[in-house]
Amino acid sequence: MTAHDCEHEPEIETDPETTERENGEPNGTSTGAGPILVPNRILETDAIEPGVVTLLSRARVVLLGYHELPEQTAPGQARLQFEDRAQNRLDELAESLELAGATVETRLVFTHDREQTLNRVADETNCVGTLLPNPSMRLENVLVPLRGERSIEQVAGLVGDLLAGLDVSVTLYHLERGDERASAAVLERGRQVLTARGVDPELIETRTETSHTPVRAIVQTAEAFDAVVMGESDPGVMTFVFGQTAAEVAERFRGPVVVVRRRGNEGGPADEPIVPVDRADDSAE
Amino acid sequence: MDDRSIADSDDPPATNVEGDRPVVEASTETEDATVHEEGTELERTISLAGGLSIGVGTMIGAGIFVFPGLAAGQAGPAAALSFAIGAVIALLVALPASELATAMPRSGGGYYFISRGLGTVYGTVVGLGLWLGLVFASAFYLVGFGHYAAAVLAEIGLSLSINPAVPLGVVFGALLTGLSVTGTERAAAVQNVVVALLLVILSIFLGYGGLDSLGVFGTESTPERFAPFGAMPVISTAALVFTSYLGFAQVATVAGEIERPSRNLPLAMIGSVVVVGLFYVTTIFVATSAFPSADLETFGETAMVEVARAFFGLPGAVAILVAGLLATVSSANASILSSSRAVYALSKDALLPRRASEINLRYGTPHVALGLAGVPILLLTATGQVELLAEVASFLHLVMYGLLCVALLVLRRDPPEWYDPDFRTPGYPFVPVVGALASFSLIAFMDFRSIAIGIAVMIVSIGWYLVYADELSLKGQI
Repeated sequence: MTAHDCEHEPEIETDPETTERENGEPNGTSTGAGPILVPNRILETDAIEPGVVTLLSRARVVLLGYHELPEQTAPGQARLQFEDRAQNRLDELAESLELAGATVETRLVFTHDREQTLNRVADETNCVGTLLPNPSMRLENVLVPLRGERSIEQVAGLVGDLLAGLDVSVTLYHLERGDERASAAVLERGRQVLTARGVDPELIETRTETSHTPVRAIVQTAEAFDAVVMGESDPGVMTFVFGQTAAEVAERFRGPVVVVRRRGNEGGPADEPIVPVDRADDSAE
Repeated sequence: MDDRSIADSDDPPATNVEGDRPVVEASTETEDATVHEEGTELERTISLAGGLSIGVGTMIGAGIFVFPGLAAGQAGPAAALSFAIGAVIALLVALPASELATAMPRSGGGYYFISRGLGTVYGTVVGLGLWLGLVFASAFYLVGFGHYAAAVLAEIGLSLSINPAVPLGVVFGALLTGLSVTGTERAAAVQNVVVALLLVILSIFLGYGGLDSLGVFGTESTPERFAPFGAMPVISTAALVFTSYLGFAQVATVAGEIERPSRNLPLAMIGSVVVVGLFYVTTIFVATSAFPSADLETFGETAMVEVARAFFGLPGAVAILVAGLLATVSSANASILSSSRAVYALSKDALLPRRASEINLRYGTPHVALGLAGVPILLLTATGQVELLAEVASFLHLVMYGLLCVALLVLRRDPPEWYDPDFRTPGYPFVPVVGALASFSLIAFMDFRSIAIGIAVMIVSIGWYLVYADELSLKGQI
């Protein structure tokens, strides 16, 4: 069932116009990569970890400070009590990112429902990805698991924009499903996108693996890396933020994970995950 | 676009005796959030289903599971008419309330509309009345719960020397208050499921019972005179059971958190009144068809259990017992939470000390406000006076409903700049005028003691206003 997804991949043409369009905003040089949504539980976040700061140093960041409340509490009530503290904290976090070179827009939201808030803010700001700011002391290498053809442009494109000019190595990663040529084509295409975005070819590595338990394979491989950037795997409204595979990786990987959002109006079978999520298998470890 | 900017008034408001000012909020309402001037956003997270569930969940506990026996005892089969009268009055108020809520989708509900439409003194009376009205209502639901819990004990053959209804109500009230302070994760989701479950149980029960009463299944029902006690008891019963219709206004107390308020607030308020009204009238019809009203009266608060037993035997009785427990708990819980919202709204406007809306740092809940609801609820539950509690709750709400209709008339006549409701009351000015008259006149049919207590609460409220906050001006502010 997955093989046919790979079949049409080698036909992808390198077309800079398409690449620009696929990646969203018309990229002026000053705009940077993104925007990327960076949610923080604002009253419980003291600082953004250095590795995350590096990862975002070339990005446009929508820094979302949120405070989630129990239903008994009116959001306005929490605002009365916590707004100043939350706003100060948010300004500090924004400053640390700006010092590193990022462009930062801040949002402060009091909510009963974190997921809903993340979705709304990501939609309103047209974010191309969401970063789970797990701790990361440094950023030397990034793992980029790739899937289908469309997500290559988006995922690798974003990685290229984020890391171009930085001394951070990128490992493109593909789970092979019995078709070496298809895997090679995906990885080659990813490499082209990265190079086109200005990543030093010396810093790009590729890797294929065969596994029927993608989440476990990705998480195991990611152990050796400082961050993961990957595409969202299914469009469910409720699980949008991280999708299925991405959600599980994000849950198990200790470092920061950037989940590249699926484009709103595309979809269709070509963007289905190449690697099916096999939860039963995964949880059996 | 549905956004509208709401401007500040230029005059700095005066302070209360503690030197606090009302928190004036310059904000923009969108479909998904309230955005304050400084950029802070408050997410709207309650869907239409959630709003309906607050309305229906608050109301259904009383009308179906507590009142049928009492109401039939007073008015005979015409108690169905009493419930219908209540529904009409509730609708006459729900329409103006919907207009005000879409014009001011802020937390605080009736209090907010009246303090802005009519001024601080009316606001104080209604605000404190809303808080205490919900306290009385909660206590009433908890006593009802106690009766159901006691009936469960009786059903499983546990006999006690004293009637355990009131102690059980008090214990459970303490438990609910405790849970609301320590944080009930996903309580709203549970509430939605409970309400859906209740509606399913009731639909099956009433559907079958209704058809049976109409003679579809062959057993001709008891013929009894429709209004054996005349017209007067029908209206006084309407006054008594009006407590069953207090829930729709609770939707407005969380108006600031409802998604797409311009559409969902009117739908939730009017929809929940229509839904529960239909259920109530059918319930009384079925109950009075199954038993003579004198028998229903002797069954008391748990009369519906006997009605269900008559139709479905033991399983029916068990189903209604369980439903009754769920319904009364859900009503009590919703009222406790609404009551704490009322306290917050007053405290934000400096009509109560700021401390009252303080949030507990450990649980993130408004512990003072919840305590201000919970403690008096326990005291009142301990009295065990079902009818008195119900009537005082109705009294305090009816005052608010009447004033709410008046506030609509005042605001329409001389609308402030920001007044731009998405929902407009049909039949204006007929609906709010009749709504106000009906609300106030229903009070006259109440028991003397209830009226006395209600008036005492209002006098104390006015006293509080004079002592604490008589310099504040909230009229026209937003």
